[in-house]
Amino acid sequence: MLSLLIFIPILFGLIIVVLPSSLRASFKYITLLATIVQLCISVWLYLNFKTGVAYGGINIENQFQFVQKLPWINLNLGALGKMQVDYFVGIDGISITLLVMTSLVLVVAALASWEIKSNLKGFFALFLLLDMALIGVFCSLDFFLFYIFYELMLLPLYFLIGMWGGARREYAAIKFFLYTLFGSVFMLLVMIGLYLSVTDPATGSHTFNMVQMMNPANYAPGSVFSTLSHQTIFGFPARTVGFIVLFIAFAIKVPVVPLHTWLPDAHVEAPTPVSIILAGILLKIGGYGIIRICIGIFPDVAASGAFWLGLLGIISIIYGALNALAQRDFKRIIAYSSVSQMGFVLLGIASQTAEGISGAVFQMVSHGFLATMLFFLVGVVYNRVHDRDIYNFRGLGSLMPKYTVFIMIAFFASLGLPGFSAFIAEAFSLAGAFKSEAVNGLVPQWMAAVGAVGILFSACYFLWTLQRMFFGSLSLKGGEIWKIAMTDLNTREMITLIPLAITVLVLGLMPSLVFEKINDSVLSLVQFLHTR
Amino acid sequence: MNTAIPYQDITIVYYALAAVLLPFAAFLVNICLPGKRNSVSGWVSTLAILISVVLSATVFAQVWNKPQLHVQQLWFTIGATKLYAGVLLNNLSVLMLLLVSLIALPVHIYSTAYMKYDESYKRYFTYLSLFCFSMLALVVVDNLILFYAFWELVGFSSYLLIGFWFTKTKAMQANKKAFIMNRIGDVGLLMAIMILFSVFHTFDIEKILAWVNLSQHASNGWLSPNANGWIVPGISYQLPAIWQYIAVGGIFLAVAAKSAQFPLHTWLPDAMEGPTSVSALIHAATMVAAGVFLLGRVYPLFNTAELNILAVIGCFTAFMAATIALTQNDLKRILAYSTISQLGYMTMAMGIGAYSSSLFHLVTHAFFKCLLFLVAGIVIHQMQHIKEENDLDIDPQNILHMGGLRKKLPLTFIAAVIGAVALIGLPLTSGYLSKDGILVQAFEWSDGKSLIYRLIPVGALVTSLLTAFYVARLIVKVFFGEFRLQKANPHIKIHCGDGGWQYTLPLGLLAVYCIFPWFSLNPFIYEHAWVLNGFNISDYLERINIYHTIIPVGITILNVFVIYFAYAIYVKRNSYTFPQTGLLFKLSYHEWYIDKIYNSIIVQPVLAISRSASWVDKNIIDGFINLLKNTVLILSNITAWIDKYIIDGLLHLLTSITLGIGNFARNFQSGKIQYYLFSMLAIILAVFIWFLI
Repeated sequence: MLSLLIFIPILFGLIIVVLPSSLRASFKYITLLATIVQLCISVWLYLNFKTGVAYGGINIENQFQFVQKLPWINLNLGALGKMQVDYFVGIDGISITLLVMTSLVLVVAALASWEIKSNLKGFFALFLLLDMALIGVFCSLDFFLFYIFYELMLLPLYFLIGMWGGARREYAAIKFFLYTLFGSVFMLLVMIGLYLSVTDPATGSHTFNMVQMMNPANYAPGSVFSTLSHQTIFGFPARTVGFIVLFIAFAIKVPVVPLHTWLPDAHVEAPTPVSIILAGILLKIGGYGIIRICIGIFPDVAASGAFWLGLLGIISIIYGALNALAQRDFKRIIAYSSVSQMGFVLLGIASQTAEGISGAVFQMVSHGFLATMLFFLVGVVYNRVHDRDIYNFRGLGSLMPKYTVFIMIAFFASLGLPGFSAFIAEAFSLAGAFKSEAVNGLVPQWMAAVGAVGILFSACYFLWTLQRMFFGSLSLKGGEIWKIAMTDLNTREMITLIPLAITVLVLGLMPSLVFEKINDSVLSLVQFLHTR
Repeated sequence: MNTAIPYQDITIVYYALAAVLLPFAAFLVNICLPGKRNSVSGWVSTLAILISVVLSATVFAQVWNKPQLHVQQLWFTIGATKLYAGVLLNNLSVLMLLLVSLIALPVHIYSTAYMKYDESYKRYFTYLSLFCFSMLALVVVDNLILFYAFWELVGFSSYLLIGFWFTKTKAMQANKKAFIMNRIGDVGLLMAIMILFSVFHTFDIEKILAWVNLSQHASNGWLSPNANGWIVPGISYQLPAIWQYIAVGGIFLAVAAKSAQFPLHTWLPDAMEGPTSVSALIHAATMVAAGVFLLGRVYPLFNTAELNILAVIGCFTAFMAATIALTQNDLKRILAYSTISQLGYMTMAMGIGAYSSSLFHLVTHAFFKCLLFLVAGIVIHQMQHIKEENDLDIDPQNILHMGGLRKKLPLTFIAAVIGAVALIGLPLTSGYLSKDGILVQAFEWSDGKSLIYRLIPVGALVTSLLTAFYVARLIVKVFFGEFRLQKANPHIKIHCGDGGWQYTLPLGLLAVYCIFPWFSLNPFIYEHAWVLNGFNISDYLERINIYHTIIPVGITILNVFVIYFAYAIYVKRNSYTFPQTGLLFKLSYHEWYIDKIYNSIIVQPVLAISRSASWVDKNIIDGFINLLKNTVLILSNITAWIDKYIIDGLLHLLTSITLGIGNFARNFQSGKIQYYLFSMLAIILAVFIWFLI
């Protein structure tokens, strides 16, 4: 079932590639169909996902669900032993909710792609390729497979930004590409190091299996990353280096200050659907990677480095919010608000408490929907008048009432108004961080206190934007022409926004929809980290 | 639902839930109603709140002075923590439930007329119902997460209503300010909740208070219960004292933000940009009282030192706001500062341990302040009317233009006088009962303490006299003397009147509640008021000393004197001006310059920091990236140069050498026989010469 989920987009992508360009009008429908089929499958997975202590997942292979494990590459390398790469996919509580979120966001992104007017075949083919890679990342349990999907994301994203983007698209695309490539190249080294350190107890050969990498007993004595042998790289403990390298790779994705500057540029230049995917899904891969790989494989380092993770988290929260306050480009504000809100994810993870990690996962899901909504909304204005400078608009509330309603929902949900999902997420990330000192002593309480101040700043920049752009008497830079161009939301846009608004509301009122599925995994993760 | 509770109690809980949810239903119905000015919406909301009043009254009758009801249901589980959503009905919550719905009803009726000609009539009632729902829910919920949720929803609906006329720039700045200042309080409350949760592992207010009580008996700080619910001094985790103070400080911030206490009070006067009916309900009677209610809910968290700070701040706020109210000319701003001042009283009362007096004052204040705001609404409406009819350029809220309105608005005038007398606290009114209680206890509290503590009761006393003065000024300027606008513009036409029953009925209802029998059958002795006897944290209700007699009498005499003084100044002179120089006047008129100070020491620096953060982003971080990029570019240019000129140059050299040799050799094969002969000859010659030498 998971394989179907992963490869469905490629199937549709092939159809698009094969079809002649004269049928280009149908491409968007094909893409939409692909994403909807995917959404149906992931909802089916969600509904059939079993919960209970026996389905915790994390470090116990047979507790994963919908597992598929096929030998993929088996090379006999003579003296080096056998090279063993499996096609190994499976999900636990951490991945299931992110999968559903991803599929829904992709449907929205597909709908947002209707604005694309040029070179449709290329766009939708790349879109579907990206789609496959994203789903693949959340499902793979083999590090090699993970890495392939992870790298595969970059390629379509680079072209999607570089070819369909705004004025400075090439700069943004190359910046994005180099940033993430920088992270992943070193990740490759650590991956190989891990491969050489870990042996599969069943076959005795080295393995890329991530679940087995979590068990200290599987490390060959004397190997680089062995927990017992205390190897060093350049004079630093090898495991610390490995952790830091992986963390940097994922931190670029999250993004964590100071590795975040690709994000505003990429967002501002990217076309709306790509912004949606970037903010909605790509950032979550960073958070997911930190949970599954960084602290999963290096729990010992994660504990000793928790202080620094938490610190980076609150720096992201505050620094991102301050930056958002200083922007005047609508999209940049939202881009920086993403930086700020993803800081809560890092803070929650650093606390290593059940509340903190649940809050972090919930924040990822919630931010996935909210960022999607926000970027879609920015796209609405940009499509109509090709301008995003906040100072060029005033009083949109009376011109576009429906649009303003959705803006208000998205803004207030993002700034953590109770009743919407972000409130629960932020509250519990912070609760976890506060509790940490009493429970495991990892994150000091003042960090949580500083993090709480972040929600004050978010109110400031969102309300400022609201007041400046939407309220007051109508006045537009483009005068009458703009006034005619700024029509209120059309049906397609309403169809896109309503499900998102309902989702964030429902998640805010019934957080158990997420917590119920992730709870066992979170508990076993906390247990695993605690006993390490 | 918990089934261990008898059937009858469950019914009561359902009643309470229905009372809370009905406005929410009205909110949903109003969203779905078509049209912008659908007049049905007003009646939907009013009907909902009417039923809520009936239900709340029933619940009140069943629960008051009886054992409390607490039902809860699992909401969600996170980690090992189970979160329950529940309803807690005790004396405090049912009193608030009844109060809020009782105040909301007249305001709803009033609004149907007041907002009748507004373009977004439906939106108004949608927001109003949302507010009522959040406020009613706030008072009955049993855990801190839900409390926080509704706390913020109340702030949000107030944001919507302050900015109801969203094309007015001032209104939008006011609601932004209100929301952000409230957010400061929210952050404080959130921190307090997190700290309490980290110690006691629960969000349930009742349980937390029980643990606090237990651990304070066991040791000085807050101790964490273990898995079995035991607190063991010395073994249990004890919260560092600093965090205990931060938690309490956070709660105080929340109180200060919602109840407009110094230093977070400046949003409330600005919030008067909203419709007056909204100011009456939200910014006078209910939402601003939420802070005091929160104090009442978590009272046992505070220790003596913290309570003393509370008393000082409350007293200072009361005094400061009263001095500002003396010189303001905007009718609603005067009332807003008066509200701040009265809320200061309540906070101070909490601080000095007069728990039930504080809540009593909350109740009585809600009625008379709401009444005064509704009166102000009518007056402003009439002034607006005159302004539009005669095309004048005046501010309809400025009391300097008014005067002599008692003849034109007789019923409004009577209501205003009743409200004013209650606010001043003259005998026979509800205000007398509640305010004198606080004053008496303030004096008793400072007894036996050092002299500096005397400042609190004295400050309260002075504030009380200031109140009498500004209220008298307000009433006199608006209702007595001559109509100054007419005096200045003699030929304007004036048509005004009290308005229809939708105006007079609410005034009547509220005015009736300002009179003593509702609260105490004996109009002179506050100790008999039933509200005071409903709370088990005992106040000084025994008439143990002379204060209980001398203070009420003294205050009343002084008040009458002050009122006469104000009357004498303003009616006799009846002029636009009053000496407007002097430091004190300026301090008061400019509201102690607090907004200006905030702007220059907080707002501007934050903006500057944010700009510099953006600068860092652009120049340092991106600068570093660009530096890297440039370095790589330069390196690659160098390698490209090397490639081109050295490596390729070598190759080119090689090729050109080969080419040269080839060309040279090619010359010999030109196909011309003469060259061949010539070259043969040359070679033979060369060989010959070689051998010869």
